[in-house]
Amino acid sequence: MANNAEDIENNMDQQQTNTVPEPPQEASVTRARSRGGSGAGGGGGDRGGGEGDVGGNSSSPEQNGQPPAARPPLVVETEEDEDEELTLKYGAKHVIMLFVPVTLCMVVVVATIKSVSFYTQNDGQRLIYTPFPEDTDTVAQRALNSILNATIMITVIIVMTLVLVLLYKYRCYKVIQGWLFLSSLLLLFFFSYIYLKEVFKTYNVAMDYFTLAIIIWNFGVVGMMCIHWKGPLRLQQAYLIMISALMALVFIKYLPEWTAWLILAVISVYDLLAVLCPKGPLRILVETAQERNEPIFPALIYSSTMVWLVNMADTDRPKRNSTEAASPQQETQQAPIASPTPSSPSQDDGGFTSNWISNQEHQLGPMQSTEETRREIQQMPSARPPPEDDDEERGVKLGLGDFIFYSMLVGKASATASGDWNTTLACFVAILIGLCLTLLLLAIFKKALPALPISIFFGLVFYFATDNLVRPFMDKLALHQFYI
Amino acid sequence: MNLERLPNEEKLSLCRKYYLGGFAFLPFLWLVNVVWFFREAFVKPAYTEQLQIKTYVKRSALGLLLWIAVLTTWITIFQHFRAEWGEVGDYLSFTIPLGIP
Repeated sequence: MANNAEDIENNMDQQQTNTVPEPPQEASVTRARSRGGSGAGGGGGDRGGGEGDVGGNSSSPEQNGQPPAARPPLVVETEEDEDEELTLKYGAKHVIMLFVPVTLCMVVVVATIKSVSFYTQNDGQRLIYTPFPEDTDTVAQRALNSILNATIMITVIIVMTLVLVLLYKYRCYKVIQGWLFLSSLLLLFFFSYIYLKEVFKTYNVAMDYFTLAIIIWNFGVVGMMCIHWKGPLRLQQAYLIMISALMALVFIKYLPEWTAWLILAVISVYDLLAVLCPKGPLRILVETAQERNEPIFPALIYSSTMVWLVNMADTDRPKRNSTEAASPQQETQQAPIASPTPSSPSQDDGGFTSNWISNQEHQLGPMQSTEETRREIQQMPSARPPPEDDDEERGVKLGLGDFIFYSMLVGKASATASGDWNTTLACFVAILIGLCLTLLLLAIFKKALPALPISIFFGLVFYFATDNLVRPFMDKLALHQFYI
Repeated sequence: MNLERLPNEEKLSLCRKYYLGGFAFLPFLWLVNVVWFFREAFVKPAYTEQLQIKTYVKRSALGLLLWIAVLTTWITIFQHFRAEWGEVGDYLSFTIPLGIP
């Protein structure tokens, strides 16, 4: 698989230099390769990079019209040694590179939940996808309703993933790109308008329409430019964090409690299956992309750095990751990240790409559903086949859907937990630990992995344990002034 | 996107596009232009396109200052006189604070 991935990557690189793919497709090409340059969190990554380089080297000469030559084993070992050293050098840095945005997103969500009461109010409004109410008379009824809600949601997500796979199989790229564009448009304009309105209401600030229009217009247009076209790296990362936070807030508001926890659990399981099982839709998507030697359609991914192929810098335009927001309804996963990201074109400006399916669709009227969120972590491609370009930056990529669900978990914990800050902090730590472990696994396996299961599992365990066990314990200790 | 790796012509083209885009009521775009290309325009050693980039950055900064002046004036006027304008003030308001003004 890894070797296939590398070959595909090389082919895709070549393809990219030959054609002028549209930005979103270019962006998709920028997915990190599975052989992953900078394995965050572990030593395995660069070892994989070394192996990848071997594979790459054997395939790139083919592209150059030379017969594939086997590398002398000595060179391989040296490369592997260098790569191992590089891995150690890069490992912790990349984990930190992902910690910061995840933490920022969670901080924004928790701060909003704590201050703006709008997002915790129960207006009686529900998403169309969770039609069963949770304020029922009996516990059994409530449990049943939440199970039904979660089932509906997960079915919608599976359907959307399959639609996406079909669209991709039949090469309807324009549809997908248009979808992504529209969903990020919706997110940047409409959701931020609502957010701003609620913040102003909370702080009792008067605002006129003119200034508001200017603010929203600027925020939205610059956001679209940064995410879908070219913009400064930090700004793109900031925008991706903001839209993930907005999405998570929408989820927190419109999903009733038990449904939300159930959906989190089920989505993690689905993520695991869809990415790792041979028949999973995401895996099929990736394999189709590999067969065609195409980049997987652009998804929203947050990449922590940018990678440039020196020889591509002159010929290609920088490619950007398109961002898609994950909509509540569908979060299908993106094709497994593993292979198809060629190192060169990744211009990740740390953009998040998120697949969106705006949940406002049903509120606003028919809109297309957006796509999936890629919840897999991808590693940035390692240095390209010519080993001399090894000084490129490497980064780690994380799907925006992952950000959204992490923030949703922590936000829900801070909104509804009786243990309040204890529980919130416990969930936060749990998610970061899960992220670390996932990055470690990524470095070891060097292929696309689902980022949700471990973190969400830890988060859920910590939430329920802290809320029901730790908090009463701490309260009792404090009550009796008993210090341990 | 890393400016370092772009060839100079593309940097100029990007700067120009950001400058022109700012005319569509987008002072934020001008701000991004100024901040992003400041190093390119004023700190880096000279290269052929740098002069033009400098012009664009300076003009973007000018436009930005103009917008800031206009917006600050309008916001000050609005916040100060909103209550006194009665109906017109309410009509213009997006959110109306509670309590006695």
